[in-house]
Amino acid sequence: MNPYQTYDARILEVKDLTSREKLFTLRFLDPEVEAKFDFRPGQFVIVDIRGFGEFPISICSSPTRRGYFQLCIRKVGRMTKFVHKMKEGDVVGIRGPYGNGFPMEKMEGSNLILVAGGLGMAPLRSVLWYAIDTGKYENVWLLYGTKAYEDILFRDEIIHLLKHGEAMNCSVKLAYEVESPSCIYLERGFSDRVCKGVVTDLFRGEEFDVENTYALICGPPVMYKFVIRELLDRKLSPGRIYMTLERRMRCGIGKCGHCIVGTSTSIKYVCKDGPVFTYWDALSTRGLI
Amino acid sequence: MRYIKLSSKNFGRFFKSLEAWGTLYAPVKRGCIYSFQEVHDPGEMALDYNRTMLPPKKFFFRPKEAILRLKNGRWEEEVEAEPMVLFGLHPCDIHGLKILDKVYLDEPADPYYKSRREKTLIIGISCMPDEYCFCKSLGTHFAMDGFDLFLHELPDGWLVRIGSVRGHEIAWENGELFEEVTDEDLANFKEFEEKRSKAFQKELPQEGLADMLDLAYNSPVWKKYAEICLACGNCNMVCPTCRCYEVCDRWVDAYKAVRERRYDSCFMENHGLVAGGHNFRPTRLDRFRHRYYCKSYFDPSAGYNCVGCGRCDEFCPAKIEHVKVLEEVRGSLQ
Ligand SMILES: Cc1cc2nc3c(=O)[nH]c(=O)nc-3n(C[C@H](O)[C@H](O)[C@H](O)COP(=O)(O)OP(=O)(O)OC[C@H]3O[C@@H](n4cnc5c(N)ncnc54)[C@H](O)[C@@H]3O)c2cc1C
Ligand code: SF4
Ligand code: SF4
Ligand code: FES
Repeated sequence: MNPYQTYDARILEVKDLTSREKLFTLRFLDPEVEAKFDFRPGQFVIVDIRGFGEFPISICSSPTRRGYFQLCIRKVGRMTKFVHKMKEGDVVGIRGPYGNGFPMEKMEGSNLILVAGGLGMAPLRSVLWYAIDTGKYENVWLLYGTKAYEDILFRDEIIHLLKHGEAMNCSVKLAYEVESPSCIYLERGFSDRVCKGVVTDLFRGEEFDVENTYALICGPPVMYKFVIRELLDRKLSPGRIYMTLERRMRCGIGKCGHCIVGTSTSIKYVCKDGPVFTYWDALSTRGLI
Repeated sequence: MRYIKLSSKNFGRFFKSLEAWGTLYAPVKRGCIYSFQEVHDPGEMALDYNRTMLPPKKFFFRPKEAILRLKNGRWEEEVEAEPMVLFGLHPCDIHGLKILDKVYLDEPADPYYKSRREKTLIIGISCMPDEYCFCKSLGTHFAMDGFDLFLHELPDGWLVRIGSVRGHEIAWENGELFEEVTDEDLANFKEFEEKRSKAFQKELPQEGLADMLDLAYNSPVWKKYAEICLACGNCNMVCPTCRCYEVCDRWVDAYKAVRERRYDSCFMENHGLVAGGHNFRPTRLDRFRHRYYCKSYFDPSAGYNCVGCGRCDEFCPAKIEHVKVLEEVRGSLQ
């Protein structure tokens, strides 16, 4: 099988999440491909707009919900602008899933702290749903930092979890940077969980059982250093800190060389050795974060 | 290994017999540089060449090639390769192919590379180092595998090492061209290799190299050379182990498009650029250092990502010397 060949997937639904991000729900046309398509949270696919190009996108739905998968795509450039014009019923090519994903089985029975910044919410939503659907994790915290109320991805789901998360062992905390009436309203309703600030402010007052907790981080490149410092301050082991990274990718399978990081003693491919790495990896591979 | 002898008088017939295995390519002289080209006559070959500008990777991983063709809204592929015989590869280039194999044949294998590789016969040839070669330091100056036949020059012909089943088949089918190896041939082989070993002028000491380079991440030497470097990417193009590619879709007409890939260079500014304008290697220093780290990466199972062929030095317009940079960086550690 040619690994560069893509499979037709139909867009079942397009939903505006914010002014920049849309949620695409897809299903493969070929039932056999659909049945075989399995993935773990943290993996990504390559989207193929035939005749225009390809680009990598994380899967933001959970493998526990079969029959479809979802991609949250931010409009930033040539290809993503093109996708944003697509409608329900249109067909795109998909190959993947690629990457290692988060070690969900290994983390069973533990607490999960998901730390999301901006678009980093997309891959972590897959983890969140997975944890809620399987019920195999102790407690799940989601610490989510966004610019403004209008930028909150999956806003309905986040607000739902703010209200009813407890019943699912899931507690959500939200930090926003730009004040607005909606934010103030949210803050009033959930004064212990919504605040103005950056994502690291959400750690304030949080204590967790470091022996039984994993942290999963995804956000813009600048965020990692600060979040990791908070976690290390609380004595979480570097091996329990997982982060998912972004690099330029063309092939997704370790051939094109664009996603290579590291030096003479440790070269890593973000596409196949990652995109999920632990903080140990970051300590031994220069340029990872 | 099986060893046979091909005497000079049979060389022409041996050459002709190879045509049955596919189109023949060998080093020829073009102006003042050497290049692997199609040949039909032994006289066209320049077997005493030092190095070609583009390494043999161009036959398997092409400078530019279509990987998929769009017809009626579907991608079609053309993987079928033509049989080829690559004649006259130096040991470093054979090692270079082995490093590329690790990338392109690793699952999922690249079908274009794989198909060409499987249909190609590799015939190595012995060489004498010039001032640019440092393959001996890297252990890539002698090929123990990765070829079908390897020809070592003798005063009156060639000592041939048979490295594969296909190599055996060639020898079998042309049995009348070959002879047993004599003690005299062995002595000549040994003498040649000893002479060759002493002829290396450039050396790259290995002790702790990968670690010392890593430790010297902030060495001012990187900066010094990055300022001289023109960021032309020549060193990437000519390197037998560089294999980054960029992909682009191109419309042929209103109904047909091709997905093409072409050589890319980590010296290009957009190599580490992602959407939104964030660049993971924004400065020339970052990119210069990245290339040296990538080439000097030591894989315990495969060695370095450099085979010491000397191409990057010979074809660098800024006259930057690979070994010199590494030695200076290492030396800059206090
Ligand atoms: C593992 C992974 C997961 C990701 N997950 C998501 C996600 O869930 N949601 C999301 O929105 N984004 C995600 N991204 C980012 C997404 O891949 C980029 O936003 C997308 O590729 C942008 O494509 P574009 O063509 O619209 O942007 P552009 O800015 O036009 O181009 C993107 C890249 O391609 C290069 N490029 C564009 N055109 C050319 C050309 N003609 N020649 C050479 N280079 C060119 C640019 O330099 C840039 O590096 C992810 C990225 C990775 C690596
Ligand atoms: S880095 Fe230079 S010497 Fe080493 S294999 Fe590449 S071109 Fe040859
Ligand atoms: S060939 Fe020389 S000048 Fe050109 S990019 Fe390489 S090191 Fe720089
Ligand atoms: S994306 Fe091509 S090597 Fe990782």
